[in-house]
Amino acid sequence: MSSIKEKFNQISPSEFFYRNRDLAGFSNPSRSLYTAVREFVENGLDACDGKGILPDIHLTIKAVEPEKPDPKQYILTVKDNGPGIESKHVPLAFGTVLYGSKFGLKQARGMFGLGATMAILYGQITTNKPVTVKSSTDGKISDEYELLLDIQKNKPIILKHKTKDVAKNGLSVSIFLEGDYSKAGSKIRDYVYQTSLITPYASITFDDPKGEKFPYPRMINTMPKSPTIIRPHPYGTDVETIRRMMVESQFEIPTIDDSMIEKVRKDLGLSKKNLSFSAIMEKAKKRWKTLSRQVRVVIALMSFLKMDFEKLNKIRIEDIDVPNKKLFYWDFGDSTSKSIDMDPESHYYKQLTNTVQGETLTAFLTKKFQRVGPTTAVKFAEFAKFKPEKRIGTMTNQELAKLSESLQKFEDFMGPDPSCLAPLGEEPLEKGMKKFFKPDFLTVIQRSASAYSGFPFVVEMGIAYGGEISTRGIKVYRFANRIPLLYDEGSDVVLKVINDIDWSRYKAKGDPPLVIVSHICSTRIPYKTAGKENVADRPEIERELKLAIQFMARKLSVFMNKRGQAEAAKKRANLYAKYVPLIAQFCTELAGKKNEPNIQKILQEEKAIENE
Amino acid sequence: MSKKSEIRAKALSKKAQDKQKIILEMLKSHGAKIYNDLDKGEFPKFSIPSRSVSNIVYDKKLRQYILGNASALRSSKNTSQLRSFTQLMWLAFFANRLTTEKKSSTLRDIYYSSQAFEIDFEDQGESDNIIVDLEAVTSRPREDFHIFPEERSSIFGDLTIEYTIPGYEGKTMNLSNHPDGYAIGPSLTTAELVDTTAEIVIAIEKGGLFTRFVEEQVDKKFKSIIINTGGQAPRSTRTLLKRLHDEMKLPVIILTDGDVYGEHIAMVIKSGSANAAHLRELTVPDAKWVGVWATDIEKYKLPTIPMTESDIKRCYDLQKDPRYLDGIWKKELEVFLRLKRKAELEAFSKYGLTNITDKYLPQKLELAKSL
Repeated sequence: MSSIKEKFNQISPSEFFYRNRDLAGFSNPSRSLYTAVREFVENGLDACDGKGILPDIHLTIKAVEPEKPDPKQYILTVKDNGPGIESKHVPLAFGTVLYGSKFGLKQARGMFGLGATMAILYGQITTNKPVTVKSSTDGKISDEYELLLDIQKNKPIILKHKTKDVAKNGLSVSIFLEGDYSKAGSKIRDYVYQTSLITPYASITFDDPKGEKFPYPRMINTMPKSPTIIRPHPYGTDVETIRRMMVESQFEIPTIDDSMIEKVRKDLGLSKKNLSFSAIMEKAKKRWKTLSRQVRVVIALMSFLKMDFEKLNKIRIEDIDVPNKKLFYWDFGDSTSKSIDMDPESHYYKQLTNTVQGETLTAFLTKKFQRVGPTTAVKFAEFAKFKPEKRIGTMTNQELAKLSESLQKFEDFMGPDPSCLAPLGEEPLEKGMKKFFKPDFLTVIQRSASAYSGFPFVVEMGIAYGGEISTRGIKVYRFANRIPLLYDEGSDVVLKVINDIDWSRYKAKGDPPLVIVSHICSTRIPYKTAGKENVADRPEIERELKLAIQFMARKLSVFMNKRGQAEAAKKRANLYAKYVPLIAQFCTELAGKKNEPNIQKILQEEKAIENE
Repeated sequence: MSKKSEIRAKALSKKAQDKQKIILEMLKSHGAKIYNDLDKGEFPKFSIPSRSVSNIVYDKKLRQYILGNASALRSSKNTSQLRSFTQLMWLAFFANRLTTEKKSSTLRDIYYSSQAFEIDFEDQGESDNIIVDLEAVTSRPREDFHIFPEERSSIFGDLTIEYTIPGYEGKTMNLSNHPDGYAIGPSLTTAELVDTTAEIVIAIEKGGLFTRFVEEQVDKKFKSIIINTGGQAPRSTRTLLKRLHDEMKLPVIILTDGDVYGEHIAMVIKSGSANAAHLRELTVPDAKWVGVWATDIEKYKLPTIPMTESDIKRCYDLQKDPRYLDGIWKKELEVFLRLKRKAELEAFSKYGLTNITDKYLPQKLELAKSL
């Protein structure tokens, strides 16, 4: 074990990723070009999302020598209108591996920094050319860097740095890399197309190496709510997580040394003054509310020890024995261990025990977890057979395991807080799909948040039928956290659910011109493979997908029925228009009449019915 | 033309004219009803006797299959019926023209004529079906509307007829002048039956035997009119047989092959078919089937051929038919089933070509009197 750890520590992160670049999607020129596009575009979108800016993303891929056959060198440039990166951070952000700000429990497209720097690293390895970063945070001055990455040292090498006046803030990253556009082209175009579908509030343009332009203008002008960082949900926390959370919520008994005493004196406003024990206590009482926990603990100790600062300086606290209400300390003066009894009635006693034993179970649950209120916490304690006021600091390992287990089993926790998720929302999805597909029928649904293994997720879907949709059969666009999933769809849970539906039941028979958009948002998408192209079939996710599709399919069926009726009425009117005049003609001669009967009454009546 | 026959010709053509008038009036009244409905702004409709199997019943008194009381409403409002409604209207309209202009046509003619009027029959089967609809609505056979079958059977013997068709009106003809016989077509079916010396009608299933009978002068020897039904008798032939029986008061006997199909050919002449249950003028209930019976096979030691499986199945099917529940009809079926063999009319040739006319026929004619 230790040898592996040592070995890992010996190489720099950049060297590690350089050696394992396949893992990050940089295995060959075709895949690398696609992955680099994704990383930069997603970074740009994330940067804008984070600041609530409607994104303008410009993607350009140019061949250095267009006549050469693939694979060859390309220049990949992605420019956004985001907040930019402060000049001093640019070299570290783009010239080191594992520098980023996007860690925490909230939904984001990817892990910032890693992918983009991998792309830069790949570009540098294959072309030996620097990355060009232009960043403006104020919309006035742009800092332009040319950087190389020192792989061994994981440090940026700044080749050039200059500033320039600009009119807009934003970031532009440009790299040289070996790529194969003839192979990766369709995948990149698909990616841009589908990204613009799931990001209808963004304007995305793509200028490809062949001189073709793919503009996807913004379809809506409102941003979806951006996700927030939140506390964990009880489901999905394991013993280790809980232990760490407990340690955080406990406070150690402060070591009472010179600097601590100095701090207490300062906080009490007694830096220069020497007061008696009782005077100090008096002072502390007055200032209690302004005091920090640490200082409060020291005061509490002093209250039982009945010591002033001078005396306190000559002892060391050994132990606080809560069950026996005894306080042990070492007296430097006579070099002996002494103990005193603590008065449990004293309000300082509570302060001390709280510190030693940590918070009560109910307070711990309500403070550290999301979706747990005081009532639920008490209910849970009852369920788990703990006293609600049990101090978490007194828990044994067995009790801890029991707590962790019970947290998974208790059914009355509210669903995870989806505010850490960023679904697109029904309205933007509907507007986007409407403009994208121009269908005859469209319906969308966003299911309420649910959780698998404690990870919250939200499913939102849309179904579009007919109109300008020319494909025969069901075309499915899959998204996870606003990223298009382009490949490996066969084994995907979304496809599984869609294929399990008997569409003829919903009046969509044969090969209906049907488009289904599926978007799964989660703090952790359960991908089946490292390629991150297909979502595993977790029963909770499968259920949500199924309910969403069934809901929409029922609406589709209503539409199809109405449409069927309208078509039938039209067909009927056509039949009448064809045959009734013939009947009139024949019966006129048969009845020996000169003029034909007036059939307009019948035909108009039918038309009126049709138009209803 | 003698004065006497001139008077009769006028009388006869008046009879034909009366019939035509009745048909035309009937068509006109149907047309007027439809016309009035349309003019009132209503979708025209009429009821039509149901021809479904459940509505076909055997009438013991009439000795034929008839339609029951069930009827179906045909409405032009119902889009699934609109097309056939229009087709039927067209057919009535077309039949009206045929009848007025005294032009004859065939089932196939009807199918092609429809195409000039955008009446889209998918095939002749569909147009044939509409023709049966018209028969059912009007209770008249299609021949009354000048629509004739294409199958031609023939007739020979001393029978004088008088044509009623345009161009031949009043012209008479004796049907013993041409040894090949006369085709039973529209002109013969619509002709008036004037005179005959014959005392019996012999309907025979096969053309070969018909020729033999003419050669052997069966018409003269037995004072008979010989009719070749050409297998299952066409409806015009059955109509003619009925008229010979009803108008000329001639008994009808039937000679068929000695098998179950022959037996049924005789039965259809006698009491009609389920297919024509909507019509009542196609049967000769007094007609007699005289052979070849199953019992004749043994009696005359006829050369036989084995019955096929479908022959045997047909026997069992007919045993369920109420008309086969008694008399020779029942008995002969049983014998066929016992023998599992059948014999054709030509089988008598084993004993000489004229054996059938010399020996068998006289015996059967004698027997017929007692049947």
